[in-house]
Amino acid sequence: MSTELPQHQVETSQQRHIRHQGMEASGVLDTVEKGFGGNPEAMQYFYDLFRDVYCEGIKPHPDKEMIGTMCVQIPDEIIHAAGGIPVRLCNGFYTDEEVGGDFMPAKSCSLVKASLGMLKSETNPYSDGIKSIINPTTCDQKKKAAGMMREMGYQVYDMELPPVKESEEGREYWRRSVRKFTHEVGKLTGKKVTRKNLKATIKQVGQAQLTYHRLNELRKNTPIPILGKDIFMVTNAYFFDDLTRWTAATEKLCTEIEARVAEGYNAAGRRSPRIVFTGSPPVFPNLKIPLMIEQADGVIVADETCSSNRLLNDMVSVDEWFMYDMVDAIADRYLKSCTCPIFTMNDDRIRRLIELVRTFKADGVIYQAFSGCSVYEMEQRSVAKAMEKEGIPMLYIETDYSPSGTGQLSTRIEAFMESLKVRGRQK
Amino acid sequence: MIYFAGIDIGSTAVKVVVIDEDRQIIGNKTVATGALVFKNAQTAFLALLNEIGLQRQHVSYLTTTGYGRKLFKDADETISEITANAVGAREAGKEFGTIRTIINIGGQDSKGISIDLLGNVTNFAMNDRCAAGTGRFLDMAARNLEIEVSDLGLFHFNAKSTPAAVNATCAVFAESEIIGLLGMGHEREEIVKGIHFSIAKRTIKLVKRVGIEDLIYFDGGPALNKGMVAALEDELGRRLVIPEFPQITTAFGAALIGLESHQYEQQEQQITEQTNAANAQSCQGSCSSCG
Repeated sequence: MSTELPQHQVETSQQRHIRHQGMEASGVLDTVEKGFGGNPEAMQYFYDLFRDVYCEGIKPHPDKEMIGTMCVQIPDEIIHAAGGIPVRLCNGFYTDEEVGGDFMPAKSCSLVKASLGMLKSETNPYSDGIKSIINPTTCDQKKKAAGMMREMGYQVYDMELPPVKESEEGREYWRRSVRKFTHEVGKLTGKKVTRKNLKATIKQVGQAQLTYHRLNELRKNTPIPILGKDIFMVTNAYFFDDLTRWTAATEKLCTEIEARVAEGYNAAGRRSPRIVFTGSPPVFPNLKIPLMIEQADGVIVADETCSSNRLLNDMVSVDEWFMYDMVDAIADRYLKSCTCPIFTMNDDRIRRLIELVRTFKADGVIYQAFSGCSVYEMEQRSVAKAMEKEGIPMLYIETDYSPSGTGQLSTRIEAFMESLKVRGRQK
Repeated sequence: MIYFAGIDIGSTAVKVVVIDEDRQIIGNKTVATGALVFKNAQTAFLALLNEIGLQRQHVSYLTTTGYGRKLFKDADETISEITANAVGAREAGKEFGTIRTIINIGGQDSKGISIDLLGNVTNFAMNDRCAAGTGRFLDMAARNLEIEVSDLGLFHFNAKSTPAAVNATCAVFAESEIIGLLGMGHEREEIVKGIHFSIAKRTIKLVKRVGIEDLIYFDGGPALNKGMVAALEDELGRRLVIPEFPQITTAFGAALIGLESHQYEQQEQQITEQTNAANAQSCQGSCSSCG
């Protein structure tokens, strides 16, 4: 062994940060792309997109005015209509979570920590140079994050969301909030929202949702034609990809998966338990739990998360194409169908989960909660109770972005799969 | 005679069990896991075979379990320690009756497993990442008190007064708490007993999440510690089933799963052969496709 130590090259903290992000992203991409086999050909577009943006530093929207959004409740249609590009800033990097941990309480949500960490170190793979952020008043941590983002020098727009969604007051409150946003978003983008533009963008986003629906419906099939990890890649790409390009690539994927269904192709194992995924959202590169599920011979056939299904499931339904009608219809789509646990009552979520289990013929539910995300942690009780009543096995996992602890997590997930398989055999 | 082996590669110890076709244990071995996990597991396996006079090829099916299960590429099957524990406990506890609940305290985790009348896992709970209230915690406490882990039981029963209140279950915080208790003049016996009760309380809280039904089987290394057993029984107000070798239940379960998988594979093969033979007869070799 040589006794001489190599010269140590000192890199700046930002250089190191970007290098760590790249390592993290390419590690996960390698697993997604090479860890399973049988990838649909049309998925290559998405794998390449992530590799370009997350590892190669290629910007998806050079020289365009991007507007950062912090939650699924921010209406994309309105930002598009004002000539902006909405990019979702909810972030999944462990590297960023560590940075965010410096100024957040120890027990706080990984996603909020990571998003703040990314904004602080200005290392977002797809939204470098972003100035304006729309932050909805959803959970407490996101609300308070707004102040921290202002301190960092970002222009933050608080979009007020009510804590109750069943009441007429809540509905009216939110509608006013969306109307106000429609007026003011122009100040951020430099272009007013017009009736014609808004109608066009509702249709454009609607087309993307329609395509997602076409894809999602195919997952009801037995055998399952596509793995859940690929679906998460598709929906995660929607966070930042160009709308038209995304829709075209997803349509191509649909056609391929339809052909797979016609020939009875099975993307999973012979006895793979079918899983509905719910809870705190998996955001690339934090696909830890979804990947573990599918590595343990499970297959995610449906999800109830704001980074995937909830992002694209519900469409704006307009009666008459006048400005007021369109804006109110947009408001309703973002409030009524939302099953986020921040609301006082959230029976809709339980109903949706049961429906997903039935229609997608799932064997069990896996519920992920980021430790420190108190609303998802709290709602675990009522969901677990409801699932037990319905006779649906559920595994609750509390976790964060950290790569440690995977041994115990995979043991739990594997044991859950083994018990589902035994149940399946006894049926 | 054919044999089946189960290797449980745990965080603290590697346990190897070899059984025969009649589900009888032929031999078992427990060694420290150490840092060279795979090498130590492999050595232990081969050493056990040597002791009982078997060769590697006599083992028809090898199943691995435990946190290091995937390191053993030679295995025919890997299974999670939860399923393996349930299968092992059902068989090992048969002479006492039907096991419905398992309490397992391992080197770095503790678990509660509930099993139905057929012996299948219906629910389980496991501690999170932190090793609070596990075997690792007992190790640390013994070291701080300068006693052998194997003497913990003795110290427990020799306590003359009320057990000391040990509130912390985090190994790091508990260390300073133990030092504090010693500084206040508490006897080591009282502290040991206090620690056992603190672990018992925490473990039972965990197991309650899956529901506690008789019979309750307690295994893992700490089940060798009579003081720990007594504390758990007192906290529960019920008797526990303690197997003869509490450390090897999971390895035993893995071996049993291997036996079942092997039999299942044989059956499948038999069916295929029969079908092939039947097909060959019915077509009388008139076409060339089956040669």
